[in-house]
Amino acid sequence: MRRAPRLGSRRMRRAGAFYVFTGPWLLGFLILTAYPLGYALWLSFTNSDGLSSHPRFVGLDNYREVFTDPDTLDSLARTGLFTAITVPLTITAGLFLAVLLNQPIRARGLFRTLLYLPAVVPPVGAALTFKLIFDRDSGSANGLLDMFGVNGVAWLADPYARWVLITLTLWAAGNVMIISLAGLQDIPRELHEAARVDGASQWQSFTRITLPLLSPVLFFQVVTGIIAALQTFAPLLISLDPTPQGVSAVPRSNNLIMINVFTQYFANSRYGYASALLWVLFVFIIAITLVVFRLSKGAVFYSVDPEQEKTRSRTIGGS
Amino acid sequence: MVLARRSVVHMLLVAMLVLFLSPFGWLVITALKAPSELRAVPIHWWPHHLTLDNFSQALTFFDYLGYARNSLTIAVIYSTLITLASAWAGYGFARLDAPGKRLVFGVLLSTMMMPQIITLIPTYLLFTRAGLVNTYVPWVLWGLCGAPYLIFLFRQFFTNMPKELEEAAIVDGCGQIRVFWRIFLPQSWPVIATSLILSFSWSWGDYVAPALLLDDDRTTLAVKIATGYVNEHGTGLYTLVAAGVVVYIVPVLLLFLILQRGFVSGVATSGLK
Repeated sequence: MRRAPRLGSRRMRRAGAFYVFTGPWLLGFLILTAYPLGYALWLSFTNSDGLSSHPRFVGLDNYREVFTDPDTLDSLARTGLFTAITVPLTITAGLFLAVLLNQPIRARGLFRTLLYLPAVVPPVGAALTFKLIFDRDSGSANGLLDMFGVNGVAWLADPYARWVLITLTLWAAGNVMIISLAGLQDIPRELHEAARVDGASQWQSFTRITLPLLSPVLFFQVVTGIIAALQTFAPLLISLDPTPQGVSAVPRSNNLIMINVFTQYFANSRYGYASALLWVLFVFIIAITLVVFRLSKGAVFYSVDPEQEKTRSRTIGGS
Repeated sequence: MVLARRSVVHMLLVAMLVLFLSPFGWLVITALKAPSELRAVPIHWWPHHLTLDNFSQALTFFDYLGYARNSLTIAVIYSTLITLASAWAGYGFARLDAPGKRLVFGVLLSTMMMPQIITLIPTYLLFTRAGLVNTYVPWVLWGLCGAPYLIFLFRQFFTNMPKELEEAAIVDGCGQIRVFWRIFLPQSWPVIATSLILSFSWSWGDYVAPALLLDDDRTTLAVKIATGYVNEHGTGLYTLVAAGVVVYIVPVLLLFLILQRGFVSGVATSGLK
């Protein structure tokens, strides 16, 4: 539209080329993301058990059940609580480490590498490691407590299992640390120097300059943190029960929503109901993402047009 | 005062380091213990009978190397395909224009946040119907589609390359595909490295997809070490678990230590761009 008409055929070719390049991904999105989601949506309105070829249409029954079934409400509440605890804790811990690493100290690179190391450990490795630490009879956690006369705490059972899971999540705070550190290093040094000249304290300089300038990075962390927390599944299974069929053996205090979903699908064969659960979770995640993005409006900025990109002035700081 | 502050920072960092690295310590100590002292009271903070037997047993208790080969096969197929496919799509978003691009790009951005576990179970049901369960075809398909996040990384990189590069090539009569293949792709090796490392470790670390899709003999190491070290009474053999986990995570940690830059830039960019 903006180009001269004589370039018309070239533009057409370019348009074709755009779809040649993005087509495979787009096709993959339709087949492997959109279609399964649509399939789950259709299932959620039926009483499918995965076996009978003609499931009955049950309307909104499954969704009604999601919001009335005490077990599901329980798992939703626990998931909410888990998210509300781990997201702020992980971000605070990661930010704390990043601020420490942003000081001019010796061996900074080494500290950074080693503190990030746990975040690189594959989830299965991390979960099994924590299982060894918190084992009732052979774990180091009880070994330590034993020296203070407390013995035989069953960490992997109720009511403590929740805290083991939270600790396990916190162990990967290195992710937040690395991203926050990159953000901290983007903040011009002069700003802090000017503040100091004006007589601002360290704390003031942190809360008035660092935090606002870091807010886009932190907002992003909040979104991805919430999404990750809501989907927590593999660590639960591995650290607490040795078999994948053992979903229902997960302690009550870790009865998160994904445990409920897997139990409904694979232990109870209630495909319809489980699909409704998935969709409720999906809508929930979209809603949270939208709300957080709305809150951070102007802080996170993507441009669609590459040409626009070069001239863009980067928007920093919240509104 | 500056000195005092620095030493406080140092002390805090050392304390944090001890806290963050202690799980590795306990893992290794457990792997070096004789099974008989696993449940000793009071606890043995250091093995009284230092032994490497757990390692040799962990490797033979089940066909460890066979499962490692399964993991490796899947990870290599997946990471190679997904890197190429993501570069391919990233080039389109960065350098080409078409009606509907805004919409397609919007879809890309929204799928970056897409919770994967939500699509996994319905996908599994569909793969079961298509007879793709217990094959590695799903990883080929996932690889061929590219990953929104990696596409985005490539797009960022290609966007910043000078326009003259492409124009000169087009004048020379190169088509877009050759421009991509000959000029842009070779230039993007830092992103290729990041993408390979990230996708390799996603696949190597994944538990849920192989647990759902693959039978016991074709599954990955991640699934097998989580479930395989159990004796006939159903009791977990923890010294073997520890040794098995060490062997499983050490390659990933080494890969990270050697190629740190790729890892860190990949993670750090995700928060900024």
